[in-house]
Amino acid sequence: MIGALSGALVDQAFARRTEPTRALGRDAEAVGRACYDMAQRFHRGGRLLCFGNGSAAADAAHIVVEFVHPVIMGKRALPAISLSNDAATMSGIARLGGVEDSFAAQLRLLAAADDIALGISADGQCPNVARALETARDAGLLTVALVGGDGGQIAKMPKLDHVLVARSDDPRVVKEIHVTTYHVLWELVHVFFEQPGVLAPQVLG
Amino acid sequence: MTGFESLYPFLYSGKTDVDAVLAQVSRSTAEKTEEITRLRADVLELYRDRFLECADAMAQRFAAGGRLFTFGNGGSSTDAQAVAELFQDPGPGAQPLPAAALTTDVAVLTALANDVSFDVVFARSLAANGRSGDIALGLSTSGGSENVLRGFTEATRRGMLTIGLAGYDGGKMVEAGTIDYLFVMPSASVHRIQEAQTTSYHVLWELTQLALADSPLSRR
Repeated sequence: MIGALSGALVDQAFARRTEPTRALGRDAEAVGRACYDMAQRFHRGGRLLCFGNGSAAADAAHIVVEFVHPVIMGKRALPAISLSNDAATMSGIARLGGVEDSFAAQLRLLAAADDIALGISADGQCPNVARALETARDAGLLTVALVGGDGGQIAKMPKLDHVLVARSDDPRVVKEIHVTTYHVLWELVHVFFEQPGVLAPQVLG
Repeated sequence: MTGFESLYPFLYSGKTDVDAVLAQVSRSTAEKTEEITRLRADVLELYRDRFLECADAMAQRFAAGGRLFTFGNGGSSTDAQAVAELFQDPGPGAQPLPAAALTTDVAVLTALANDVSFDVVFARSLAANGRSGDIALGLSTSGGSENVLRGFTEATRRGMLTIGLAGYDGGKMVEAGTIDYLFVMPSASVHRIQEAQTTSYHVLWELTQLALADSPLSRR
């Protein structure tokens, strides 16, 4: 049993987080630029549409609750919807249209050009996340992808607006970097959103 | 100045230079990554041995046929879901283990909230589904969520192994006396607390897998 396990295993597990977290700090400007673009979409009346599979489906729901019900008192609610929450819709689409269409089919009905599509995929290889980002891009949405590892097929897709890569091959570590990333996305969107001069029409040009 | 104002003084300075704001938010992001790294180091120092003991206890329950039930509110409900998903569907090289998030059944949640009270949603679900060999894992950033506390009370009553993840000073979860293994993330930021909790349950999962691999009970 665990008698064979030592504290060194816990140390090693924690240590695996350190460098990927530092790497996120080095990517701070890319995160800030994504926030600025997201803030402009919200400013124009756009909504945030989030999607992912497995653990990333839980992240999509988490991002939505951050925006709709802010933890900091006095921050305004911003419109956000998760496309991963509804088992009836997800399985219904998968049954006839295939799993690959599970998010794109919802986007085709729900999305408006001012909206933001935020897809999460730990290895960047989820076909349904990729297809949804493609659909969103072609419809004029702002596209944001949170991926990990080498970014997979999603990082290779042309003309996505923001692809933020968590620098780890461990899907658990990637998720942790994503959690920090979307907490920062929420906070910084509000920073831009509350700075009227930054989002005024003359700087949108 | 409010906390937010002191973090982002440029908001109130009358400047509208986008590049200046970008530079400031970049520094803010880098600071947050340092903050979570320090918090993880604190959690490791506080709980190194407890993580091992807790994972051992979880492995023993799983090896004997126990199941994991997870619960929390808001962002923590999504963590509950992520924990259940990770244990059931860990990917190649790891053993899938039975787990269910109590937060995902909207029919049960709304029925209990509508007919009784939101305070009982997890306790009643555990009363219906939990057995003595099972595991209850609840998350609350404040440590004060009434329905999470009541969930632990019911789980303890049924003889389940109870594991809690909290933040700040642990709130009522510290005093409850119903949580076998309590991990308190010592931070005042809900966001950093959630991030450290995510690391904590990932590490617990990893250690549980290692403990199970060592367990003669699990060799089937």
